[in-house]
Amino acid sequence: MNVVVCVKQIPDPAAPPALDPGTHNLVRSGKLILDDSDAYGVEMALQLVDAAGGGEVTLVSMAPNGETSGLRTALAMGAAKAILVSDETLAGSDALGTAKVLAAAIRRAEPDLVIAATESTDGYTGTTPVQVAELLGLPSVTFAKKVEVDGQTVKVERQTEAGYDEVTSPLPAVVTVTAGVVEPRYPSFKGIMAAKSKPVDTLTAADLGLDGSQVGVGGARQEIVSVVEAEARSAGEVVVDEGDAHERVIQFLEQLKIL
Amino acid sequence: MDFTVREEMAVLLETVRRFIATELAPLEQDVEETGELAPATARAIFEKSSALGLYAMNVPERFGGGGLSAVETVMVEEQFGHTTDILVRRAFGNVYEVLFAADAVQAERWLLPCVRGERTASIAITEPNAGSDAAGITTRAERTGSGWRINGAKHFISDAAFSDFFVVSAVTDPAKKSRGISLFLVDKAAPGVTLGRDQPMMGLRGTSHHELFFDDVEVGPEHLLGVEGTGYAQVLATLGRVRLAQVGARSVGKASHVLDLMVRYAADRRQFGQAIGEFQMVQQLIADSVVDVNAARLMVLRAAWELDAGRDARDWIAMVKVHAAEALGRVVDRAVQVFGGMGYCKDLSIERYYRDARVARIYDGASEIHRMVVARHALESGAALFDSMASGGWVLEPTVALDGGPR
Repeated sequence: MNVVVCVKQIPDPAAPPALDPGTHNLVRSGKLILDDSDAYGVEMALQLVDAAGGGEVTLVSMAPNGETSGLRTALAMGAAKAILVSDETLAGSDALGTAKVLAAAIRRAEPDLVIAATESTDGYTGTTPVQVAELLGLPSVTFAKKVEVDGQTVKVERQTEAGYDEVTSPLPAVVTVTAGVVEPRYPSFKGIMAAKSKPVDTLTAADLGLDGSQVGVGGARQEIVSVVEAEARSAGEVVVDEGDAHERVIQFLEQLKIL
Repeated sequence: MDFTVREEMAVLLETVRRFIATELAPLEQDVEETGELAPATARAIFEKSSALGLYAMNVPERFGGGGLSAVETVMVEEQFGHTTDILVRRAFGNVYEVLFAADAVQAERWLLPCVRGERTASIAITEPNAGSDAAGITTRAERTGSGWRINGAKHFISDAAFSDFFVVSAVTDPAKKSRGISLFLVDKAAPGVTLGRDQPMMGLRGTSHHELFFDDVEVGPEHLLGVEGTGYAQVLATLGRVRLAQVGARSVGKASHVLDLMVRYAADRRQFGQAIGEFQMVQQLIADSVVDVNAARLMVLRAAWELDAGRDARDWIAMVKVHAAEALGRVVDRAVQVFGGMGYCKDLSIERYYRDARVARIYDGASEIHRMVVARHALESGAALFDSMASGGWVLEPTVALDGGPR
C-alpha cells in the first residue's frame, strides 16, 4: 500500500515568529523544521504500510525556498521519498492555492491513501486537507484518532466533541489525523544517515501545470487585510467555596462548552 | 569558512535534543533526590537509545560505533550537556578512546562489549597523591612469570560502582618515570580488586566516585593495553578528545541550557512594575553570558576541526578546557543572581546546575594546569599560538569542512 503524507516545513515555533509588515504573511526566510503535528501522520503512514506488508510512504510538501531539512526528519523516520514543490510563483498562496499544488503533486504519486494533520502549527486554517480531497475527487475523513486499512477500505475512529464516530470509507481517501493518534518514533541513527540519499523530487508550479493565475499571490482569493495585537489576558475569576463551588465551576465550564 | 550544518547532522542533533528533553530530563529530579538512577530505569533508557543507534556514536564504525568525526562528536556532546552526567553515561555511553588501542583479542573481551553497552569501563588513573600530576602515580605493576601483579590505590573513580572493568595506570618501570607507566585492563571481579567508599561530591548526583584498591591483583599479559611504558603517552593522546567533548562541549551545552532558563526568567519575572530583563544590570548578566557561550562554542569547534584535520590539537584543547569550564562557571553564577532567592532555593534546578558546574574547572586537569600548558607553549612557540598570521598564516586549504565532512 502506498501512502502520501502531506507535510509542512514551518519556522521553528521555539523562535519568536515575525509577520511581513507589507503582506502580513509569516516570515519563512529562516530555518524551517518539520511541523510537529505532521510527525503523527508520518508515523501513522509508516505503521499502516508495515501492517499492509508492503508499499511505501511518500512525502508531499510545498515550501517557498527549496528548503528540505524538515523533509529529512520525516525521511529519517522511514518515509521512502519526497516530492517538494518549490517556486517563487507560490509565494503568497492562500489555503486553496496550496491545496491545488498539493493535489497536483499527490496525483503524480497515485497513492492508496493520503494522510495529513488536521491543521498546521503556523497557519491553523485547517482547510487545506479537505480542499485537497475535493480537488482530487476523493472522500475525506477528518480528525481521525484511530486509522485501520482493511483491503480497499479505511476504518477511522473520528474524534467528536462527545466521543468518536466510526467511519468507513473506500480507498483512495484523504484522512486527517489528530496529534496523539500514534506516538511518533525517533529517527534512528541509521535512518538519519540513510535519509541523506533518499530522493527528493523538486518541482515547480509549471511542472504541475499550474501558473500564477491559479496559485501564489495572483491566484489567492484570501487576503490578510490587517493584523491586530491579541487582547491581553484579563484577570481570572476566583471561585471561593461557600459550599456551592462545584456547581459554579460546572456552570463556568458549561459556558465554555467544555462540558 | 562555512558554519552550515549538513541536514543529516541537523536531524541527528534534533533527535538527540528531543530524546534528552523527553526521556532523560524528567528523570533528573528523582536522581537528585535519591542520589541514584534506579537500575531498571537505567536499563530502560539504554535499551531505547541503543535501539535507535544513539549509543557510542563517537566510536569508529570499524568497532561498531556511529563513526562521528570530532566536529560531529562535539556538536552531539554539546546536546548531552543539556542533561546530567549519569543520564548521558547510561543513554549514550562513555566508551573511552584509549580503548581503541586494544588488539583484536582484547577488543573482543573489553572494547566491543562496551560499544554494544554490555560492559562499562572506568578510567582509573587518579590517586590521592596524583591528581593533576598523573605521572606521579604510585600504583605498581610488577612482572611475574605469567604476567603482572598490581598493587596500589586509586580514588575519585567516576562510575566505578557500575563499571565491570577499569583502565588502570600503573608504574611498570620506576626508573623511567613518565615513560615507565603502562595501562592495564582490569576486571572488577578479579581477585584482589576491592571497591572502596563512594566519595560524596558537591554535585554530579547519581554518578558514583569510588576508591579502588588493588592488592596483589594477578593479570595475564593480555591485560596490558598498548605497549609497555607508553601508558602516560596514551593517556595524553586520547584523553584530550574526552576533555574536549565531555568538558568543553558539554560545558557549552550546560551554559546554553542555563542561559535559556535565565533569559526566560528575566523576561517573565516582574519587579518594580517591569520585567527584570528591562533593567540594564540584568541585561549585562545576560549579554556577558551570551558572549561567553558563543565564544566557548567557537573554540570547541575549532579544536575539534584541528583533530579532524589530523593536527595536534592539545593547545587548542587546553584553551577550551580553561575557557569553556570557566564560562560555564560564570553563566551559572549569573543565573543564580538573576533568579535571586529562587536561584538559591532547591525548588528549582538552578542551584543544582551551579553545584554541578564547579567541577568542570577541576577535573580532567585543573584550569591552572591547562593555563600552564598554554603559557609554556606560548613562551616556546611565540606567536604561533595566537597570531593568525604566524606559523604559516591561515590554513588556506583545509582537508575537512567544519562539520567534519570532506571538502
